[in-house]
Amino acid sequence: MNFFLSNVTVVAYVILLIFVAIRARAAREFEEFSVAKRELPLALIFGSITATYVGPGFSIGFVGRGFVSGFLFLVVGIAYAVQNILVGLFVAPQLRKLKDCYTLGDAIGQKYDRKCQILAGIISIGLCTGFSAVMISAGAVILKDIFGLPPRLSVFAVAGVTASYTAFGGLRASVITDAFHFALFATLLPVVLLSALLFHVGGGAATFLKNACSATIYGFKSTPPLEIVSLVGAFLLGETLIPPYANLALASRTTKVSRNGFILAGIFSTVWFAVMVALGVVARGILPFSTHEDNVLLNLVKVTMPTAGYALLLVALISIVLSSLDSLLNAGAVVFTQDIVKQCSRLSDRTALNIGRWATIVIAAIAAVGAVAVPSIIRGLLICYTIWAPAILPALIFGLWLKHPRPLAGILSMGIGTLVAIMFQFVFSSATEALAIIPAIGAALLAYLLGHCIARSSSLVPLPPQGQACPRESGDDSLDEGRRTMEE
Amino acid sequence: MEVIIFVIIVIAALLVIVSGIWVAIALVNAISAGSREARSLPKENKISKIKM
Repeated sequence: MNFFLSNVTVVAYVILLIFVAIRARAAREFEEFSVAKRELPLALIFGSITATYVGPGFSIGFVGRGFVSGFLFLVVGIAYAVQNILVGLFVAPQLRKLKDCYTLGDAIGQKYDRKCQILAGIISIGLCTGFSAVMISAGAVILKDIFGLPPRLSVFAVAGVTASYTAFGGLRASVITDAFHFALFATLLPVVLLSALLFHVGGGAATFLKNACSATIYGFKSTPPLEIVSLVGAFLLGETLIPPYANLALASRTTKVSRNGFILAGIFSTVWFAVMVALGVVARGILPFSTHEDNVLLNLVKVTMPTAGYALLLVALISIVLSSLDSLLNAGAVVFTQDIVKQCSRLSDRTALNIGRWATIVIAAIAAVGAVAVPSIIRGLLICYTIWAPAILPALIFGLWLKHPRPLAGILSMGIGTLVAIMFQFVFSSATEALAIIPAIGAALLAYLLGHCIARSSSLVPLPPQGQACPRESGDDSLDEGRRTMEE
Repeated sequence: MEVIIFVIIVIAALLVIVSGIWVAIALVNAISAGSREARSLPKENKISKIKM
């Protein structure tokens, strides 16, 4: 009965998802595929950002951490809220203001030069594929648990369903299905908490507070301060403006919508973390202490909810994974078309749209192959975070705020940031795994400063006569550099 | 103290549910707007043909 109900619920969910995706319509031009014609309202931007960041880590992971270390992770999670609010205040509106900008690489290209755009594009595609592999792996684990499918078939099912609607509908389909997923899990998981709090915790508020205090004290005692600092660093910087968020900032209706979407998503993240950690604390009074932290949420629901509730939770978990995956696939495809293919040849709108669609499928296929090799969800995510922040953030933020950003500084910062992050992740991983993001960001900042100073001191190229062809169009970046220096 | 924390957690859960409902309403609006747009497309085509 249980198995039958789970299957029926999941099949009903997939049918509803396909219905929603079809109603979102197929994209008819590249601007619709990449930035949904820049017409997205606040509620959809907010829903899509939150649905993207609430992955397995921010749901199953946080419930497990709440079970083990109480409200410690709520404190760490505040760094994530701060990051989103800062992006909303200072970066997202600046991005949205740029004209003809479809990706983060486009923004970097407009501020630096074409070489920087292509490098940013390559890094973005690599990261989108890596993140997608982790998400496919998480989705496959859930599908395997429900249907008992072989791992490879589960991987194929998750990648195939998501790639199909993302390839045809583009960003609009991704955002619409994200909103659908968000509405599902944002109503289902708090109901689990309320039900457990009101009907299953013996002793009510006093027992909850007692469990919360003992777990939180244990959490702070058992976690070294350096680890807490590195976790705060990873939450503050790791996921900042990864390509799906950048695309949403660019796709919002106005700069105000772009800003408010990120600020609201930041505030919401604190509320969400509080609910997830509270679920873990509640579980301390219901489940045995030996329960593995990754199984706390599933076991809690099994114990406290009726069979239908358990089936619905499985659906919520699948939706959590798919909502992150579709955004990543779309972002990767748009980056490939805009930052790499379009930089090498002129494309008609129709060709760009088709390349974007095929790129979605190819990235999903590569990620599906990689998903089999993902060591663990959290480890996979940490690797991606550690590379993303140093590789892109210094160049992007300085580029958006400096009056005359130098291409050499951008190239050096992105290149050295990526190399140092990879080196600390894979070569010296045993010593610095948790802290790899900090030296890598330090190296990227130093490289930026160095590149800026070198370019500034060596760019005394004579000013070209007025009326000469635009340097970016002619491809001669040194002239652009010389003109900037003379103007300064 | 315990009652305050308990109430805060309940309010947080309710806030998440309200956010879910808000986004669900926006989703329905977006889908119905899309349908209206799709239905109006043939009409516009007809009008433009008549004008031509």
